[in-house]
Amino acid sequence: MNALTFNAGFAPSRIRLVDIRRRQLLTAQLRMLLLGAGFLFCALLALLRIAWLGVVQPAPAEHSMAQALLPPRGEITDRNGVPLARAFPAYALWYNPDALGDGGSPLVKSPAEVAARLHAVFPDLDVAETTRFLAAGKAGYIRRRVLPEEVNAVNAIGELALETPAEEDRQYPQGRLAAHVLGYVADDGHGRVGMESYLDNRLLDPSERGKPVPLSIDVRVQGALEDELRSGMEAVNAIGAAGIVLDVDSGEVLALASLPEFDPNRIDTQGAKNMFNRATNEVYELGSTFKPITVAAAMDAGVVTDLSKRYPATPLHVDGFTIHDDENLGPTLNVPETLIHSSNIVSAQIADQLGGKRFKRVLEDLGMNERPYIELPARGFPIWHKGDWPRLRTMTVGFGHGIAVTPLHLAAAYSALVNGGIWRPATLLKVKPGDEARGRRVFTEATSARMKQLLRMVAVYGTGRKANAPGFRVGGKTGSAEKAAAGGYDRSQVVATFASAFPMDKPRYVVVVMLDSPQKVAASSYQRTAAWNAVPIVGRLIPRIGPLLGVMPDDNRDIDLSDLKPLVGDGGGNE
Amino acid sequence: MTQQSRLRRMGWLAVLSLCTVCYLALHLKVHAVQSEVVRSERQIIALANRRMLLETEFETRASQEQLASWNRLDFGYAAPAAGQFVENERQLAKFGTPRGPGAPAPILVAAVTSGEKAPSFANFVSPLGKPVDERLLEPDAAHHDVAERTGATISIPLAAAIGNVRE
Repeated sequence: MNALTFNAGFAPSRIRLVDIRRRQLLTAQLRMLLLGAGFLFCALLALLRIAWLGVVQPAPAEHSMAQALLPPRGEITDRNGVPLARAFPAYALWYNPDALGDGGSPLVKSPAEVAARLHAVFPDLDVAETTRFLAAGKAGYIRRRVLPEEVNAVNAIGELALETPAEEDRQYPQGRLAAHVLGYVADDGHGRVGMESYLDNRLLDPSERGKPVPLSIDVRVQGALEDELRSGMEAVNAIGAAGIVLDVDSGEVLALASLPEFDPNRIDTQGAKNMFNRATNEVYELGSTFKPITVAAAMDAGVVTDLSKRYPATPLHVDGFTIHDDENLGPTLNVPETLIHSSNIVSAQIADQLGGKRFKRVLEDLGMNERPYIELPARGFPIWHKGDWPRLRTMTVGFGHGIAVTPLHLAAAYSALVNGGIWRPATLLKVKPGDEARGRRVFTEATSARMKQLLRMVAVYGTGRKANAPGFRVGGKTGSAEKAAAGGYDRSQVVATFASAFPMDKPRYVVVVMLDSPQKVAASSYQRTAAWNAVPIVGRLIPRIGPLLGVMPDDNRDIDLSDLKPLVGDGGGNE
Repeated sequence: MTQQSRLRRMGWLAVLSLCTVCYLALHLKVHAVQSEVVRSERQIIALANRRMLLETEFETRASQEQLASWNRLDFGYAAPAAGQFVENERQLAKFGTPRGPGAPAPILVAAVTSGEKAPSFANFVSPLGKPVDERLLEPDAAHHDVAERTGATISIPLAAAIGNVRE
């Protein structure tokens, strides 16, 4: 009983102890479990985060210095590394009426006051118009181009609504120079018109845009060409002009100009009108400049074997059409006289003897049946007649009528005439030495040597005398073709061209200058033909560009003309 | 727990806290250097932009069109003529006169003394029309200045004149 009592008295406390202990153990286990679950949860979260980063989220953009220095659009330089087009970190002035965000007046000061402060920063700003714009409360650009110091001045005005977002800009440091070659960048960020359009992908490619693209253009030559071309064009009131300087051995275009031009820094309606490229897009009947090609083709075909052979120079009647010269050049002419006096009649006879098939083949080899080879998107298709040429067409093409090509076609053909007979496609990209296009042979070496003499004779004795810059051994051929008009030719409008090469003893560069509709003015002695307007331009241009291109004037050198000199009298003549 | 093991444990704790402090210091240092690098990079980028801005301004102000118009209005330089180029030794030799028969070999004298009649050099005149330095208007006086100061003969008068400009 006692024991029972003792047992009964002891057992409850012991049981309680056991109970407490078990409960504590349970609590501890529970806490351990919770802690473990917490850790597991954290680990799971971390794993999920890693999975999220790895699978869903794009990699964070790395802003390294190299990337920040990479221009958004590649640079274009000339052949010597002078920048012609570059991306330019610029600012714009944007009006944001919601910047204050309180629904009240967008400006702290009055619009007139802000406009006056802005006018102090930008003196060419129209105060009245800007005041109206600010008062209207509509978002928009106040200016597209703002310089960094002007940004500071605008921020000093203290208006939150005047924002200056950083914008990428395309800057052409040379202004209007080579505008037709370069083109411009439109608001959508893509190039238009010139090499900006052709090189668009290359200039935007992140892997390539860090390296500038060198063009074949030499900015000094381009500057001289545009300068002389512009003054020559304005002197005779021509409506347009084109000029090309081409390397005869590599096909590189050293300068290419079309006037009037546009300003790629600022495209307006006037500029948009002038985007048409006369050097590569417009086709012209280039007239007498084709005669050397006719003669060279005839020499190669064995039609002209004796330069002293005399051809009758009386007007020709073919298929009811009369071919005549501008003036009476005498009863007969030989080949050098034909080129010096620019006789249509004899050129037509030579073309006739050569035959349409062979003549056409030569012109096709010179690329005159297709668009000119150049990278520019603006390339004109020649007026070219397919199929067999009738006799009259062959004869008119012999003196440059009935076929219309671009001045660039002519420049490429002349470079084949003087470089030993190889025609090469023209290019605006710089060509490394040894990487020149292979080209195709059009004329024989011997014919090319004869043509060099004949072209030099035109500049020494004939219509090209005003281009005969002392020491530069210039040779070339003039051409003045009446412009085609409705129902025939307009006698009062001509296209005056001079296609030349220098130095003739070892030709390196072809220079083609063309004036569209020059007028009879005092500056051209009241003449309209190329000898009085296009030729003097070349005469002034070559002394400027020759030394830059490594051709030094030398009075002691010249091509040997002694075997042909007896065939011509004292020279002189007209178109 | 014995005294020894307690000490050891405290030692471990001390090492651990030292390592933590060192790590923290290193971590801060790395961050400081990194932010300095980032700042330098930003400076480089800003300077590159600034340089491009200046370059473009120079290119624009000295564009071919601008140079041509300056030349037309102010300078009037013309393209060089054939007579201004010497292409080879033979052409250069053309400018000399052949030595007469029995003439003594020419002696080339490179120096003159201030006491002798030294040839006068062109004065430096600024393009604005004012002389660069008043003293240069009288090169003889300038020569005497230098000669008096150095107390010796001077060999090249032009150098003396330039020396005056530098002062």
